[in-house]
Amino acid sequence: MTILEHVAGLVAASEARSYEELWALKSIRFNLERGESLGVIGPNGSGKSTLLKVLARVMKPDKGAIRCKGTIAPILELGIGFHGDLTVKENAKVYGVIMGLPRSQMKRLMGPIIQFAGLEKFEDTKLKHLSSGMQIRLGFSIAIESAADIFLVDEALTVGDMEFREKCLERFRQFKKEGKNIILVSHTLDLIRSFCEMGLYIYNGETRAFGPSEEAIQSYLDDVSKGFPSTVRG
Amino acid sequence: MVVLAEKDFKLRYRNSVLGFVWSLLNPLAYMVILTVVFSFLLHSSVPNYAPFVLTALFIWRFFQIATSQSLYSIVGNPSLVTRVYIPRTLIVLSSNLANLLGSSLEVIVLLPLLILLGVHLEVHALFLPAIILMEFVLIFAISLLLASLNLKYRDVSQIWDIVIQLGFFLSPIVYDENSIPTRYQFLYSLNPITRLIEATRGMFFQQELPGARDLSIIFLVIGLLLLVGLAVFQHLQAGFAEEL
Repeated sequence: MTILEHVAGLVAASEARSYEELWALKSIRFNLERGESLGVIGPNGSGKSTLLKVLARVMKPDKGAIRCKGTIAPILELGIGFHGDLTVKENAKVYGVIMGLPRSQMKRLMGPIIQFAGLEKFEDTKLKHLSSGMQIRLGFSIAIESAADIFLVDEALTVGDMEFREKCLERFRQFKKEGKNIILVSHTLDLIRSFCEMGLYIYNGETRAFGPSEEAIQSYLDDVSKGFPSTVRG
Repeated sequence: MVVLAEKDFKLRYRNSVLGFVWSLLNPLAYMVILTVVFSFLLHSSVPNYAPFVLTALFIWRFFQIATSQSLYSIVGNPSLVTRVYIPRTLIVLSSNLANLLGSSLEVIVLLPLLILLGVHLEVHALFLPAIILMEFVLIFAISLLLASLNLKYRDVSQIWDIVIQLGFFLSPIVYDENSIPTRYQFLYSLNPITRLIEATRGMFFQQELPGARDLSIIFLVIGLLLLVGLAVFQHLQAGFAEEL
């Protein structure tokens, strides 16, 4: 927005009606116990990603409160700060620090990270020479090493090959046993069914169902087959 | 934060044959060019004109480059703002730090060149790091303002371009502070860049430490700017993720 547009907007607003208010999220309420994981489902534009952003403290809610015990690792996008001209190791260091790992620990964790990503042969290769799948594997390996208690995952699992995906799920199961929480946004209902015990179905920014994942999924499927309620946003 | 600055700095010289050497060669080249121009082509009433200008340009370039780059520290790193939470002031600070490193390296070129041009440097020159540090705080304060405002109004970067060009002539870089008409001198002297330049020249050429007047203006103006910068940044940052 330029200053001119801003001024124009102010003038226009005083004569014409101001634009419609839209609450991306409204009356969302859920709680999780330690070790539980939550699958968030709903059609596009229903507010799933916004919910994760609010939880990640990237966006501030205009109203309402979030209470959580423990640290949060948002995996909303893999490889933030990655740069093609830096080597795999250099990139890992930058991304690790962004994810909240202290520098001293990054040195110690570098080995396991590269190993988990399966990139031992390429640790001094420039990132741009790696395939996109490999880059994502690297990003994921760093993100799950960040010693957080709550992981926010946005569709990121659906990339990478089968083998790597299994490896990640295995690691997440282990996290659950350690009492960590995983909040997963996905359209792959089977994944949520098998992985999360709790499910949250949101539509138009509002909770349609919260409970055991099977129930939330069923409620979503019912809406898909019978048609969504025609609630007016506002 | 240090890691981010390190990354910025490393990237600047990747894919070039001489790499890091450029960070020394580049200032050397431009300083030599200027020295030739000012020593042989332009004649000024100021004695030993080349060192006089070089000193001021060192201070000015740090300010100009660092603030101009800070404009894009937030706008240019959307995923650092919208995908993870790190204190946003650190994003600006790391951009400034990368420039601090570059400018500190310029000192390695500047000081020998001054000596070569016949300037007698004494212990007073050891005060230079303090000057650089004060300038760094000034840059940080202004960068906070620029980076956050530029996100809301992209015009800010254009406006800042003009301010920088104007600032070059409103600061005593190619001329002496005393050549300003007396009635404007008070207003003129409040410019923190003017004070920093004059203080550095004093150290290098008159063998004197920055006086109480210089220091009090520097602290006052920079402190004030820092408060304003932090307040504006704090106020605007709630909306960062939505603007990007």
